[in-house]
Parts: sequence; structure tokens; C-alpha cells
Amino acid sequence: MPKSDYKNMWVSVEHDGTSAASVGLELCCELRRLCDRTGDRLYAVLIGPLPEAEIQKIADCGVDGILTVRGTGYDFPNIDAWTNAFTVLCRRYRPSAVFVGGTVFGRDFAPRFAIRLNTGCTSDAMQLDWDPETTDIQFIEPAVGGKIMAVITVPELRPQIGTVRPGTFRYAPTGKRPALERIDELIDFDPAAIRVRPLRFTPDENDPELDLSDADCIVCVGNGLKDSEHLERYRTLARLLGGKIGCTRPLYDRGILPYKLQIGQSGVMVKTKLYISFGVSGAVNHTAGVDADVFVAVDRNPDAQIFSYCDYGIVGDMDEVCDELIAQLRAKMAASV
Amino acid sequence: MLKILVCVKQIPDVDLVKMDPETGNLVRAGVPTLTNPLDLNALEAAVRTKERCGGRITLITMGPPAAEETLRECLAVGGDEAVLITGRPFGGADTLSTSYTIVKAAEALGKFDLIFCGKESLDGATGQMASQLAERFDAAQISCCLTIEDIAEGRIRAVRALETGRETVEATLPCLLTVEKDNFYGRLPSLGAYLAAKTAPITVFDETSLPGLDPARIGVPGSGTVVPKIYPPELPEPGQIIRTGSVKTDVGRLVSLLAEKDVI
Amino acid sequence: MPAYNKITSAAAEELRACVSTGRFFFGGEADPNYTHDEMPIYGRFMPEAAVDVETTEEVSAIMKICSRYKIPVTCRGAGTGLVGGCVPLYGGLVLCTRRMNRILGYDMENLVVRLQPGVLLKDLAADALSRGLLYPPDPGEKTATVGGNISTNAGGMRAVKYGVTRDYVLAMTVVLADGRILELGKPVSKSSSGYSLLHLMIGSEGTLGIITEMALKLVPNPQCDVSCLVPFRDVESCIHFVPKVRLANLDPQSIEFMDADIVSSSAAFTGSPIFPERVANTAVGASVLVTFVGTEPDELDRRMIKLGEIAKEAGALDVLVVATPSNKKAAWSARSSFLTAIEADTRLIDEMDVVVPVDRIPAFLLYIRSLGEQTGIRIRNFGHAGDGNLHIYCCSNDLEEDEFKRRVKIIMDAAYRRCAELEGQVSGEHAIGHAKMAYLRESVGEDVFALMGGIKKVFDPDMLLNPGKVCDRERRTSC
Repeated sequence: MPKSDYKNMWVSVEHDGTSAASVGLELCCELRRLCDRTGDRLYAVLIGPLPEAEIQKIADCGVDGILTVRGTGYDFPNIDAWTNAFTVLCRRYRPSAVFVGGTVFGRDFAPRFAIRLNTGCTSDAMQLDWDPETTDIQFIEPAVGGKIMAVITVPELRPQIGTVRPGTFRYAPTGKRPALERIDELIDFDPAAIRVRPLRFTPDENDPELDLSDADCIVCVGNGLKDSEHLERYRTLARLLGGKIGCTRPLYDRGILPYKLQIGQSGVMVKTKLYISFGVSGAVNHTAGVDADVFVAVDRNPDAQIFSYCDYGIVGDMDEVCDELIAQLRAKMAASV
Repeated sequence: MLKILVCVKQIPDVDLVKMDPETGNLVRAGVPTLTNPLDLNALEAAVRTKERCGGRITLITMGPPAAEETLRECLAVGGDEAVLITGRPFGGADTLSTSYTIVKAAEALGKFDLIFCGKESLDGATGQMASQLAERFDAAQISCCLTIEDIAEGRIRAVRALETGRETVEATLPCLLTVEKDNFYGRLPSLGAYLAAKTAPITVFDETSLPGLDPARIGVPGSGTVVPKIYPPELPEPGQIIRTGSVKTDVGRLVSLLAEKDVI
Repeated sequence: MPAYNKITSAAAEELRACVSTGRFFFGGEADPNYTHDEMPIYGRFMPEAAVDVETTEEVSAIMKICSRYKIPVTCRGAGTGLVGGCVPLYGGLVLCTRRMNRILGYDMENLVVRLQPGVLLKDLAADALSRGLLYPPDPGEKTATVGGNISTNAGGMRAVKYGVTRDYVLAMTVVLADGRILELGKPVSKSSSGYSLLHLMIGSEGTLGIITEMALKLVPNPQCDVSCLVPFRDVESCIHFVPKVRLANLDPQSIEFMDADIVSSSAAFTGSPIFPERVANTAVGASVLVTFVGTEPDELDRRMIKLGEIAKEAGALDVLVVATPSNKKAAWSARSSFLTAIEADTRLIDEMDVVVPVDRIPAFLLYIRSLGEQTGIRIRNFGHAGDGNLHIYCCSNDLEEDEFKRRVKIIMDAAYRRCAELEGQVSGEHAIGHAKMAYLRESVGEDVFALMGGIKKVFDPDMLLNPGKVCDRERRTSC
């Protein structure tokens, strides 16, 4: 079937029966802009029903329609029923593209229905563009450790499938469309055919030091850090500024700081007033995760990419600059007491 | 006896890969290679499973002939046999065609109860291979596994990491698992196994020897995605670099700028 | 009894004029880190002034002024010492070489590098390596300055095969206390030419002169290397294995010892448990890490096979191979993290760096362990098994500092006595500073100690250079 026979774009909006996951809303907002260019209609796809207030919230993101799947097999998130549902739906409606939030669950099932539909799947796009000549979506993402940007397309097969990490796009609702199309689909999946069953869930203990979402200031330490021994001064600085410490991926890989403090596309996306990086090279994967009112960068290498993202930069030894900053902040505090 | 498959990949050291500014191509020549670190965590999980439950570990990789090094490294740690899929027509494959090829080769070797994969490769980093292999194996899938609690009577019970907590799940075999690296730190090989691995036989498949292979579904023709273009990240205009000549005055200048902005 | 003068503002102005702007610090301007090295337990001492020097001529000019005003001068590199060697016990001036960090050039025909003393060990190592050369001395602290390494005759892991820092110093430029500039040694490998003042300078901890430039010997970098980790049930069998390795003619580059405690501290600290705590369901009591270097992988395999045979006879639990780049990196960083891992979970810390004949390591370690148990002090140790050099740390988190010091003194007094009985040395590579002076005196005896003092007087009659260190027992005051 020619790809011109595939129309409209879908966003799978993950939810827990009471509220929609933020990544689904972010994707709807971003896809609205893309659909305005392509002329496709935009649908949110829900597996299992959501309360009307949440439906309206999705509608506010500018979707043209909402497709809700009901039936057996959806009592808890499971790859088998979800993969089946999207396979059945895509065969029935032939969407041109399906976007899925890059949660652990989304990243589990989206690549699977891509196989069942024998089509191309991308992950972690940071920008979406569209080529009117080929009518292909351009999934733009960092590659090779963030050194390059790669444009990825699905030139022949349909639908084009992509998972996108939470926080990549902004939740900026543009308002309801004049009419909201509502579609209900019944797709039963035999619960006995579900191969993975949850037995127990233990929530992580809430360690405020590991939650960067509400930090007004983040001191981010990168691969320039010599070893864990040198870390303490950055904690001190973060405390002085009333902020928290974060890191880049290499520091997590080196076992120096936990995953929850890893800032960037494959870690947490942060929004903060003051962000100070020390020894961070500035790979796109990292900087894409930083939204700061004031961005300060400190690095030894004057050509480091990080200086392109900062408001203020200092070229120098990270430890030395940190120590000096601590000293001056202390002096300033002492003076103001 | 459990039949265990571990999928591994040899990757270039991404820190050393550069982009040729003239041609816009990635320069991989002369870049040292290594075994994808997360695959070694998967191997460790497989070896522990074998130690506890018995079984036979098969290693599989697709890549250039030099990927044999990765297989030998893994054999030394705990593989019983190793399979290399290599040949020009396999080159340039995305996850759609790579998963097809690997499963074709695995099917030629028999049926597997457990398949272990790294969460992603540090070079491609799509994180899709595990799910797509599981789909093609028609297997259950437990990703981000923290501990394997029990394997018995065709079922596996394991704990996995989700965004906000830990979930204990039970799944039927065959099952594919990806593991969290912190809980499956790889072991060092024993001298005997290390030396034996250097000369161990390796099964090699190419495009002609792999049974039932559809040439249209491998390599570039079998791929769903293409990369029409790569380019250096577009950088915003650099910020204000404070350069007074001494750390003390640099920091002093910064502190007053931050105070002006009211962020300290 | 020599008396020192405080740095007056007149003297300060003269000193300030010796260097360009921003490199002389008077009074409170000096870096507070200059009051201590990595062992703050030995006290903090504030200098009256500090200067970052850049050239031999500046050092000479500064020493002339200090000699005229009788101002004590303490030379300092990166401050990574462990015996209070670079702290200004009597105030005065701290002369810091961190800005003398240039590698001046290579003589590729004779394999010689010329450099300034403030170059960091890791920078020299990396730079030499980029030319296919190896600077063999390999102390654990890579952010130390090479000048500091020479002043303490640092050793390190590769000493088994290559020897210590002393074996690689060919020549140096030295500024004496009165400002005279000397050239000692020549860039050649042999010398039978009178008293070697060069070797007197090496290991003299900045008490005889200030090293401002040096020429060091390099060797071609071996093309390949591999390490074997050999775990044992207990410390005794582990240590008994070491002489067997040496006798088997396997030419190891290093033989490192680590006990179970340090391995688990390091695993917790680095997050990479590369050294196993259990092997084949048996708890590992202690392990040695043996490193081989060579030109052919096959030749290294042969040596490993031989090592495997010896290990089996010696009752090793296994022989594990560290061969891939990532495992080498993890093993290296775990081994390098031992000290910092101890520091990370310890509030109070003191250390000793003794050397005993290799066969007496178990006896000494058992004795230390019993001392620790008797006094309620946590003992951590690791070391260079191949040459009998042991790093022993006394640690506590809950004792008051005074009580900690009291108990540690009991351990140290007894341990250094035992070390002497076993025909050992007070320090293998960390040197004496002011912390270990009494133990040096006890160890070498009054005659030798007095001769050392006599030599010091010849070089520095006014006792201006790094006073209170190594062999300088005079009490004195500043006026």
C-alpha cells in the first residue's frame, strides 16, 4: 500500500485511569504544530477510559479526536495487550505516524508493535520536522554520545513510530479545536494470554536530595571531575546556594552519583533558576535536559561546547573555581549578617 | 536444562569517534572497540542464572569479523558457545533488520528459554533491540531487571525498576530480560577460561549459510529507518565568558553578576 | 639556637617585587590550604606569606631576601603529602611550585625529559605516553607534583620491576638557602664522580635546597600488559605467595596486596566491585594483583600460565585475568581509590608507611591487627607486597581527637618498634616530614641522626629551609 494511503498522526497517551501522563500531553502539543503543517488530523489514543476532565485537558492540547480503546486485558499495563491493541488499531485506521511517550512501559511496547507492523521505529527524538517533498517526518536526535545530530526518517514503511522522552517537548496547550471527534473501539485481549503479571509494587523511598524537580539551584558536575574525592566541595557549594547537586551521564556510569541525579535526555529533565555546570563538556543529550533562568558554565577547555549554552562562563580548573566561589559566597554571607 | 541466549555487541569507543568536518561522515577508522558495557551486565545475569539453575549459555553477535574479540571476551566470562553473524549484506542494518537477522540465526540453533540483552548500546543507543528481539522470539519481556528471584516450571519471578519504584513480576518462559547495571556488575574471567576462550571454536554465519534468510529483510534493504543526514549540533551564540586573568576576580565578577540577576 | 624574623611589610614589598602581579600573597591573602597537607591530624600552620614562583631566578631572588631577613621558607607542590612535610611549622614564607608546571622538552635519542618541578605526575605520564615513553615511578597519588615525588623519593606500584623515583633522576637545578644556583648531575646514566649531592637532594624533603628544574630518565613504553588478581582465603597464604612469584622469574611490574576490608571499602566507594569479595562461595581474605608488561601477548600468556601453577600450589582460590581495557580501567581506579575510600568514611585518620622484608609482612600485619583490637582503633591496610612496603591506616569515627591521638600513639610506638625488630624501615615512600621524625631517630640511631643534622647545617646554616622536618629537632622561636 502506498504511503499516501496512511493519514493522520496519533499520540498514545499513557494514563493510570485517573490522569494522563505529562509526556502524552507534551507530545500532543508538539504534534499539533506538526499536523498544522502536514494537514493531518491529530488523535490521542487512550487504552482504557479516562475521566472527562482529563479528556478536556487533552483536548486543550489541540487534538482533533480522541480514540478510546475498551475491552478485556487492560486492567494493568502489560506489553501483550497494548502491543495487540496498537497493531489492530493501526491496521484498521492506517495512521501515518504513532508517537509514544518514552516511559519504561512505552519503550517496552512501541518497538514491539513496530515489529508486528513491520515498520520503522525511532527513539529519543529531540526535534520533529517534516519534509513536504517526501511527506516523511524527520526525527532529529543526538547520536554518538551527543557529538552529532542525526536526522532519521522512515522513507517507505508506515506508520512512522517514535518514542519521545518525557520533558523533551513543552506542555503549552494552544486550545481546543472547534469539534472533538470521539471514537470508541472495542478490542478484547484474552487476559490469560498476558505473559507478565505484576505481583507487588514498592514505591521508592522519597529522598529529597535525589529529587531535582523542585530545586531552585542545581550544581551539575561533569566528567571533568577527577574522582569521588573531589565531589564534596560541589555538595558544599550546592548547600550554600540552597540547591542540589546533579551530574551528567558519565558520572553515573562511573558509579559516582546515582541515576536519579543524572540530568539530560536519558536522565531527568530539570527546570531551575540557577544552573552551574563544572567540568561538563556540553553534549546535546545533556543540555537538552536543562531549562535554567541563568546558566553558568565552568570548564578547563575554552572551546568546550557548554560555553555556547551558558549565560556566563569561566575558563579554569573546576575545583579551583568552586573553592573560590565557596569562599566568596561565604564572605558575602558573613558580610550581610 | 535452561537454554540461555545472550546478545552482545562490539562498539567503537564513542568518546573517540569524530565527525569529518569535510565530508560530514563519522570517522571510525582506528577507533578502539570495546564490548558494549551494558551487554556485560546482561552476561553476568546469565552466568548467575546458569550457576543457580544450570543451563547452557549461547552468545550471539552481529558485526564485522573483528566482533569475534567480543565473543571471546564473553566466552571467558561464562559462555558455552558463540555465534558470529558477519557479512557485507548485513551492514547498515537498523533494529528492524538486525532483530530479524539475529532471531533467524538463533532459530537455527534451537529454542531458548531465556534471552538476556543490554538495555541499550552506547553507540546506537536506541534501546529498542531488546523489545524487538522479544517480539520476534514471541517471548515475554522483563526490562530493567534488578533481581531474579526464582525460575521454575516454565516461569520466572523477578524484580524490576520502574520510574517510581520496584515491581515484582512473574512471567512465562521464554522470557527476555534487560538488567540494571548496578546489580549485575560483571566478573573477571578465570585464567583457565580466559586461555580456553582464545582458541574456542566460534560458529560463523554469513548471508549464504544462514538457513531460510530473506535477503530483502537484512541490512539496508530490510531496515525501516534511514539516516539521510548528520550534522554537528547547532550551537547557540556563546555566553559571556568572564576572563579577568585570575580565578579570584573571575569568580568575584560572576558573583556580582549573579547577585544582579537576583539568583543568589 | 637560630631565631627567625617575622615578615615585615618592608620584607613583603621586596618579596612582592620578585614576581609579577597576583603571585605574592601577604597575611590573610594566602590560600588556607597551605596550612596543611593531606594529613590535617598533624596540625595546621599558617604561613605569613606565600608566593607562586615561575622561574629559577625568582626562587634565587626570593631566597636571597629570606636569607637576609632570616625568614623560614617552606617549599610546597600540590600538597598531597602524608607526613606534614610541606606545612610551615614556623610560619614564614610558603614557596609554591604549582605554576612551574611546564615540560621543557624531550631528548628522544637519550630518552630524557626536562621539566619544571610543579608538573603533575599524571601530566608527565600522559605526555610521555603520547611519545611512546614511560616514566616508570608510579605512586598512587597522580595529582602530586614530580618535584614533590623527588623530594620524598616516591615509590609506587611499579617499583618491583623498575625501582623508585631516585633511579630516574639524572640531573637537577637547585637553589640553595642563600640563593646560589647549583647544577647537580648530568643527563647520563652512570656517575662515579665524587659525593653525589644529586642523590642527597633526592628524598631531602625541601630541607637542603629548592629543586627548580630536573632531567629525568624515561623508558620505552611496553606494548602490552595484563594483570592477574589472585585471591586467597587469608592474609598469611596470600603473602606467602609473593616471594614465590618473585622467585619464579616472571618479572612482574608490580605485586599489590589488598585485604578484604579495603576491597569492600573501595567497592562501596567507587561503586565498581571489580575485586571480588567471594570466589567459589568462599570469602576472600586477601588478594594480590600481579601485573606483567611485555611486547608480545603470547609471552604474557606464558607468564600467566606459570603464575597460575604457582598460585594453585600456594592454595589460591582462583586466578582472575584483568585484560580488557574496561576491566583494566576499573581495576586501576579501584586500586587508586584505596586511600580516598578510607578517607571518605573516616573522620579521624593517621597512617604509617613502613617497609619490611617481604617474608615478614604477615607477622607485621598480624601484630598491627592485634594492636588495633587492643586499642579499639580500626585498622585498614594495603600495600606494595612485592617490595614489602605497607600502607597502614588507623581510623576512627567516634573517638574524640585527643583520645584518638593517644591511642594511635600507642599503636605507632609499638608498631615502629616491631618494624625495627623485623629489620624494616620507617618509611618506604611517604617520607618523614615532622610527623615521623621521632620514629626516624629511633630507627636509625643517634649517630646517623646526628650526621643527617650535620649535613643539613652544611647546606643551610641558618636552618631556613623547611625547618622542623626530617632530622631537625631544635626548638626555636620567632621574634
